[in-house]
Amino acid sequence: MRTLILLTAAATLAAQPQAAPRAPLPPIKSLKYPPLKAVKIPEVTQFTLANGMRVFLLENRNLPVVSGFALIRTGNLFDPKDKIGLADMTGDVMRMGGTKSKTGEQLNEQLENIAASVESSIGESFGRVGFNALKENTDEVLGAFKDVLTAPEFREDKVELARTQNKSGIARRNDDAGGIARREFSDIVYGKDSPYGWDVEYETLDRITRNDLVAFHKRYFFPKNTLLAVQGDFDIPAMRAKLETLFADWTVEQPPVPEFPKVDEKPRPGLYVAAKNDVNQSNFRLGHFGGKLNDKDYPALEVMSSILAGSPFSSRIGQAIRVRGYAYDIGGDWGAAYDHPGLFVIGGGTKSDNTFKAIRTVQQELEKFMSAPPTAAELQSAKDKILNTFVFQFDSPAKTLSRLVTYEYYGYPKDFIFQYQKAVEAVTPAEVQRVAKQYIKPENLTYVVVGKPADFGEPLTALNLPVTNIDLTIKQPKAVTAKADAASLAKGKALLDKTRGAMGGAKLTGLKDMTLLMDVKIDAGGGQLAAKQKIQWVAPATMRQENELPFGKILSFYDGKGGWIKTPQGEAALSGPMLRQVEEQAFYNLYSLVASGGASANYLGDGTVEIGNGADLVAKLTVDEATGMPQKLVYRATAGPPIEVEQRYLEFKDVDGVKVASRSETYQGGKKFADSALIEGKVNSGLNAEELSKKP
Amino acid sequence: MRNLLALTVLLAPLCAGLQAQDLKAFEKRVTEFTLANGLHFIVLEKHDAPVVSFYTRVNAGSVDDQTGKTGIAHMFEHMAFKGTESIGSKNLALERKALANIERVYDQLEQARRQPKPDKAKIEELEKSLKDAIASADAHVESESFTRIMEDSGAAGLNASTGVDSTQYFVSFPANKLELWFRLEADRFRYPVFREFYKERDVVREEKRMRSESNPQGELIDAMLAASFQGHPYRTSPAGFASDIENYRVADAEAFRKKYYVPSNMVIAIAGDVDPKEVRALADRYFAPMPAAPVPAPVVTVEPKQNGERRVTIESQAQPMLLIGYKRPEATHKDDTVFDVLDGILAGGRTGMLYKELVEKRKIALAAATGSGFPGVKYPNLYIFFALPNAGKTVDEVEKAMYEIIEGVKAKPVDETTLKRVKTTVRAGLIRQLDSNAGMAQNMATFHAMFGDWRKLFESVEEIDKVTAADVQRVAKEYFVDKTKTVAYHVKPKAEAN
Repeated sequence: MRTLILLTAAATLAAQPQAAPRAPLPPIKSLKYPPLKAVKIPEVTQFTLANGMRVFLLENRNLPVVSGFALIRTGNLFDPKDKIGLADMTGDVMRMGGTKSKTGEQLNEQLENIAASVESSIGESFGRVGFNALKENTDEVLGAFKDVLTAPEFREDKVELARTQNKSGIARRNDDAGGIARREFSDIVYGKDSPYGWDVEYETLDRITRNDLVAFHKRYFFPKNTLLAVQGDFDIPAMRAKLETLFADWTVEQPPVPEFPKVDEKPRPGLYVAAKNDVNQSNFRLGHFGGKLNDKDYPALEVMSSILAGSPFSSRIGQAIRVRGYAYDIGGDWGAAYDHPGLFVIGGGTKSDNTFKAIRTVQQELEKFMSAPPTAAELQSAKDKILNTFVFQFDSPAKTLSRLVTYEYYGYPKDFIFQYQKAVEAVTPAEVQRVAKQYIKPENLTYVVVGKPADFGEPLTALNLPVTNIDLTIKQPKAVTAKADAASLAKGKALLDKTRGAMGGAKLTGLKDMTLLMDVKIDAGGGQLAAKQKIQWVAPATMRQENELPFGKILSFYDGKGGWIKTPQGEAALSGPMLRQVEEQAFYNLYSLVASGGASANYLGDGTVEIGNGADLVAKLTVDEATGMPQKLVYRATAGPPIEVEQRYLEFKDVDGVKVASRSETYQGGKKFADSALIEGKVNSGLNAEELSKKP
Repeated sequence: MRNLLALTVLLAPLCAGLQAQDLKAFEKRVTEFTLANGLHFIVLEKHDAPVVSFYTRVNAGSVDDQTGKTGIAHMFEHMAFKGTESIGSKNLALERKALANIERVYDQLEQARRQPKPDKAKIEELEKSLKDAIASADAHVESESFTRIMEDSGAAGLNASTGVDSTQYFVSFPANKLELWFRLEADRFRYPVFREFYKERDVVREEKRMRSESNPQGELIDAMLAASFQGHPYRTSPAGFASDIENYRVADAEAFRKKYYVPSNMVIAIAGDVDPKEVRALADRYFAPMPAAPVPAPVVTVEPKQNGERRVTIESQAQPMLLIGYKRPEATHKDDTVFDVLDGILAGGRTGMLYKELVEKRKIALAAATGSGFPGVKYPNLYIFFALPNAGKTVDEVEKAMYEIIEGVKAKPVDETTLKRVKTTVRAGLIRQLDSNAGMAQNMATFHAMFGDWRKLFESVEEIDKVTAADVQRVAKEYFVDKTKTVAYHVKPKAEAN
């Protein structure tokens, strides 16, 4: 017997192939899954306090912590058009600016010493103040939470901090191509004049005062307008009693908050291109208005968008794009929001050269998708994705609480999620095709592309769409001017007349052209950089600048409207910040400024005249009141991050009857930037604009 | 999806802690075992909801990339989603043949290109043949089957990431799909098929464009690392060099898998509504047959001592970022917990010195943060400061202010209130994570891999509690020195400097 077994074993071994035997894995389809245990849906206790605030409590003993949040019916949709950013700043400064009894800094220390937090914010359609505490500190943290919610102090220094931070946000908003595409797509579809589509700007921030924040808070933060949710390690009755006591004295009332503004659902089709020349990848987005979560067809649309673009890997568009290697980042969504139309969007990033091809691929897939119902397998797959992950909606008690409060806030039924689940189960392939045809409108698509147009491979004109260029220039604040009255304006004009006379009078005003050749020494952080600068000017507003620097020559030309720049790295038409810089330089040119006198001249005292161009530029010229000769010119350069520029005139020289600065210093942001010395000056030497415009 | 470790993840402090009694209570829910082939499992039971999270950590990252193949660890991670012998093919035998043909044609093409006098016509012909070979292999593919099975079965948070030190694969499933996860995870590492490799290579190349070439901040970080590390592979980001990506071959990814994706070099953590006995049985069935192999060698290159400040600039139109990095030792060094405390003092919440000084008081930075353990922690690395200057403020101003803060922590010991605050914050931070399946699976696998025991996650609290103000000052003085410093920042392109 024994031998036999051995022999059999040997025979079996001999019959095996030489390679190591592979332990086969069972086919996926053969796997059997036990039924999923029922989810436990925790019970939420709901009541209204005497002051009208609605409260939701959930006991959750998993961890020794307590957390909660208040939802307030407000939002940046209520920003006044001239003070965009108000809601956002109010949300920030409520916490940063401290409360009546504690400064923001004191609150920071108090809370962080006990590993707690209180945070506030106001988004598009709600305000939120939240807290998180270890169980033993519940009372102390609830106290701070209530103070931030009901009695913020909005201290002035933190109003300024929020303004500064927001301005830096504006200055940085065009640094990320993906971010630009998302913002511009949304802004364009909703309309840039709509609270859903406008952007915060320097000048809207500048108009916001502490009083505005106080008023905004007062208008929207009142008990009847507030929902409060608390969950964690506590007894419900004890927490209820605690909240009743804590909020007993918060009894302020305000008229009911109006509805949020309506969305103007006018389609805004076309191709919108934002040139960003420092990237080698294009970000594109195409889409139009989506719908609301409680639309009857929302479940079918959700299944539709899952099949079309849900997964970057297995959706129709994900596959078509990724399988061609066009993009890492690709995806889409039937956008639905609680209370207004969301955005249906498909978008991604692809190397510049593939821009056209990627967009074309998306168009073709869309067309294909709409022309036939999805396969049964696709439908099943999309439903499985939604239904099999359903359990994750209930994997923590906090999710249940947060969902209930959100439904209450937007007026949705408590069982909305189960209605949705049932509706998804019932979706058919024919329904998917029906909603695709009914809701996707290729003729209404807004296309946004951010990238380097010169590298797009095929020009996007091949898409046959009306093209609009997106101007990414960040709007600079209108110059803040000093108060003027008839007397100060008269005195300003008189002093400027005197200066004009001192600098050459009719010779100055009659200038036809001017050439200045200068030696410039630039303080370049430690070392000095020597440059030769040649400025040529032809009346009324043509300018050519040549700068010879150690690393090459920079030339620029400007004719009052546009121009070009040429550097060792290449040449480009003036646009965006560069154009702005040249426009500013043209106005702040001492000679034309004094000759023209600007649109207004307002005397500020101590020999200083504020000269404006009637729009957004203003310069302060300080002159020797006895002689009228200029001493310094101060203005804000705003092409980049705004910075104060000051020209100090140390010496003038007569050039054919015109006084020309022969030695001057330039300061930027209070720091010495350059010394300039005149080598040669010429006036009326017969220059003409056309000559100046010639590229070397 | 399938991303490189985001900066925030890389910079998350490694340590957090709890008291000893919490560890005892917690330990009761943990089961550990090691298969005969060396693969280690950590199982955390949590039965509140019928869900489970999985975290597979492979102790190989971009530091293990070979010269000329930078980014290959990341490329393999992408290929781990491309299917297996039994998933993703319409006909495996035909597909294998077609895949072999691609490699054969590609070999010929490379040979033709390498000739001293390349034959242009022949190269073009071979390029066309390669395209055709790829197309005929693609005909056998059921694209994205592997991912689709996961997604359709209820996968949540499906993702993977490649960092400098390690590669990790993570996902959560409804608890009844436990066996499905074992079936898929074992399959992808045991029987992968490198299909659609050259298209995925383009996708990876696109990811590089997104993360660094079209992203001024990503580009600056790359430059910072290259300047700080001259020998150690921390000098290259996990994305690798563009030209390396463009030349990957299937054999490169396969070689990487063979060497590093071995049981002794992996750890798996599972947290949720599972029965540890069932987990053990499934591990035996699906992972025990994975052949044992020796633990691969770690990186032997030791970064030469830095003996002077280094500065590096990147020209960019974008608003600038400033990075300042000082050399610091690896996570297993005794000073690691002191760095954790120091980090809390400098950059914790709204009371951290950087926020208070640079953002709140001087209003010169939009944001300022630190990273203790950058770009990784397995080998000596950097303690890094970064800041975004406010509009109108210069990098120079912010850099100077940063040094005043740094000199401050060197000059005098931190006050007791601050020290206590940082310790309390660390403790509370871990308590708050205990409830998260995904978070705990990640923590336990990471601590096991780094320190040989997940308990270190809890024990580190005792060590942090012992850190004194004098320790903090000593570490600041010892490591924040100009000699080992590297500074990187954006400057405006020269043509527009004026």
